[in-house]
Amino acid sequence: MRSSLLPRSVRRNCLRPATFTTARSYAIQAPGAPTLEVFNRHTKWLQRDKSASNVEESRSVDYIRDEVASRLCERLLDINRNFPHVLDFGANACNIARTLTLPGIDIDSTAPVSAPLKTRIGKLTAADSSPSMLYRDEDLPFNNEIDIIRDVLKTEETLPYGAETFDAVLSSLSLHWINDLPNLLRQINLILKPDAPFMGVMLGGDSLFELRTSLQLAELDTRGGVGSHTSPLADVRDIGGLLQGAGFKLLTVDVDDIVVDYPSSFALMKDLQAMGESNAVVSREMGAIRRDTLMAAEAIYKEMHGNEDGSIPATFRLIYMIGWKPGPNQQEPLERGSGMVSIKDILEGQNKTP
Amino acid sequence: MPGRTRPVDRLASASVKCAKEGAAYGKCITADYKNIHKDKCLTEFLKLKQCYTAALKR
Repeated sequence: MRSSLLPRSVRRNCLRPATFTTARSYAIQAPGAPTLEVFNRHTKWLQRDKSASNVEESRSVDYIRDEVASRLCERLLDINRNFPHVLDFGANACNIARTLTLPGIDIDSTAPVSAPLKTRIGKLTAADSSPSMLYRDEDLPFNNEIDIIRDVLKTEETLPYGAETFDAVLSSLSLHWINDLPNLLRQINLILKPDAPFMGVMLGGDSLFELRTSLQLAELDTRGGVGSHTSPLADVRDIGGLLQGAGFKLLTVDVDDIVVDYPSSFALMKDLQAMGESNAVVSREMGAIRRDTLMAAEAIYKEMHGNEDGSIPATFRLIYMIGWKPGPNQQEPLERGSGMVSIKDILEGQNKTP
Repeated sequence: MPGRTRPVDRLASASVKCAKEGAAYGKCITADYKNIHKDKCLTEFLKLKQCYTAALKR
């Protein structure tokens, strides 16, 4: 045998890879219906973790997340109760936690009218899969003002919490990267206490349609085909069904558009990358996007959608959702046909007396 | 990264210099955007690309 001629140490080294293969981790699929993998979770994790490790740049592109977090937290004001333990699922850089410590501001006056929302929240668990994103703002003063626990998740597709743990679950701008949204919403429903709300906001529908169409036209002309450069997103009408399928009651779904102006499509793509929101669709073309496509897309974007001052608009469509886990003594919608007042009369009556 | 301009920034500054060519190409595409095929606006695109190449070299 030839291998016996090798010195002992070399032989041992040769054997090592064989022992290592047993420790290889496989992507294990949970039993049940097979899930379609749309997004590459590992790529997404790398993009987000890398983007947050450049702290300065990452903070400079927090404008969307901060704005959306404040709009989501505003909805908490409508619920008149205290929440001893809240989960912030997909916390990004803890934008929700920071928003909760800010004093409530009435739109009509400049004086703060309500105490910060944190007074109604006992403990906040911020969960995210990217440690550098989650711990990015760990040293900022808002951390001392709220009882916050950071929890790094192995994956965002499964939640490591027991049933009936939380008094509310919030989620801001992270659900659009989830592969199996129906399953995740069911898990959220499970970890909520009875009669507790889930409030989420995700990008959906026609988000970034300007960028999408420009890239499509550019690729058609320069390459003769279309690649997937933007994610497929959930539509508003899907969300109601998703929440209902997950077992939520008393649903509220609404849509809000935020339009941001950028100097060029390059600036937009640079910011998206700094947010960690680059393309992670499984079927995307590997490698960097071609320069020809970028040049053509920039020209088409400016011509088709551009503003008069030379800047370009980018639309972020936000879908807000609120669903309640069923509980005893929970208010329920009245039976169909039991309404005694016609809404038509009320609305028409309002018009008559301005 | 200090001392090094990222390619995307160089492209962005080149795009400002090539606004005229970009507008010509954009007009060609948007004139009939429901009916795009490969190299529909090749002449305009080559002009645009030439301008970018010149601007990027500088």
